Amino acid sequence: MTYPPDPDDPAPPAGAGVRPFLHTSSPWGYQPEPAFPPAGPPPGEETTTLRPFVITAGRVSGPDAEIGLETQVTARPGAMMSRLSPEKRAILALCAEPLSVAEISARLGLHLGVTRILVGDLRADGHLDVHVLDNDFPDPQTIMRVIRGLRAIS
Amino acid sequence: MDFEPSPDRIVGTARVPAEPRAAAPPVPVKIIVAGGFGVGKTTTVGAISEISPLTTEAEMTLASLGIDDPGQASQKTTTTIAMDFGCVTIDRTLKLYLFGTPGQSRFAFMWDHLIRGALGALVVVDTNRIDDCYPAVDYFERAKVPFVVGVNMFDGQLGYQLDEVRWALAVRDDVPVVSYDARVRTSVRDALLVVLDRALDRAVTMQAQ
Repeated sequence: MTYPPDPDDPAPPAGAGVRPFLHTSSPWGYQPEPAFPPAGPPPGEETTTLRPFVITAGRVSGPDAEIGLETQVTARPGAMMSRLSPEKRAILALCAEPLSVAEISARLGLHLGVTRILVGDLRADGHLDVHVLDNDFPDPQTIMRVIRGLRAIS
Repeated sequence: MDFEPSPDRIVGTARVPAEPRAAAPPVPVKIIVAGGFGVGKTTTVGAISEISPLTTEAEMTLASLGIDDPGQASQKTTTTIAMDFGCVTIDRTLKLYLFGTPGQSRFAFMWDHLIRGALGALVVVDTNRIDDCYPAVDYFERAKVPFVVGVNMFDGQLGYQLDEVRWALAVRDDVPVVSYDARVRTSVRDALLVVLDRALDRAVTMQAQ
């Protein structure tokens, strides 16, 4: 059963942490207006994943320009995994066999730019090998092998 | 609010292999499959790839490339796009990657990182929306990447003659214009072989210099 509000009563506090003048029915009549739409994704689109800049500790550009999409990456055996972030550990776990950066990104659901930064970090810390090609463009012999390989497809 | 330390987050579908083994990594080579939205890039990649196409998200720089306002500094913004890719293992030491990249907008083709080291590109064209592929053609011409225009035959039909497509695109005479069916593996293979032929030409020229 509810009683009609008594006009002489002050508005009840909204909760322990809320300053009274921020309460909507405060005696000063202050009505804070949200200047910006509320932060975060709209209702129904909340995710449990971290924002990319959290995973990369704020960095936005990769340390290695030579880490490409198709660049092959392998984990070094015996890498100390215990002090690494879950993302880095997941990368090392995937690259026990040679894997491309794009595949790491797709299989872990990590943004490609984030993956490149993390792979660069792991390489700098000696946890994995990044197999950088010597020449920027494949030589004719390599292209001939690709042509022969594709012709074999039926 | 709950700030308790959480256990390890599950990252994607990561799975620890039974035992790590040291295999020599294959040499990767890549071909770009470009074109507008819905022209059949993913179908093309999926038809020949030995894995079902994977998707990764990447930053793409949108820049006005000085088309509309030459002389002014181009205003750049970045956007996140989804990119499909697949691969074909040629042999134990060589692996071909196919990257399908979107190019809906006239300005959305500043992706130098992607084309670095690429053998070449297949620009997929739908004759019903031929202007969708202009950004890709512009980009590869500028970047001097060997490319081939592949007219995707929807339902096995070619809407226009290849000469008409060539005329509409105004590509140079040495740029091949071929028709193919993105759903058929051997048809995609043949289109890629034309790209590789162009790539071989460039590699031989570069080596001779």
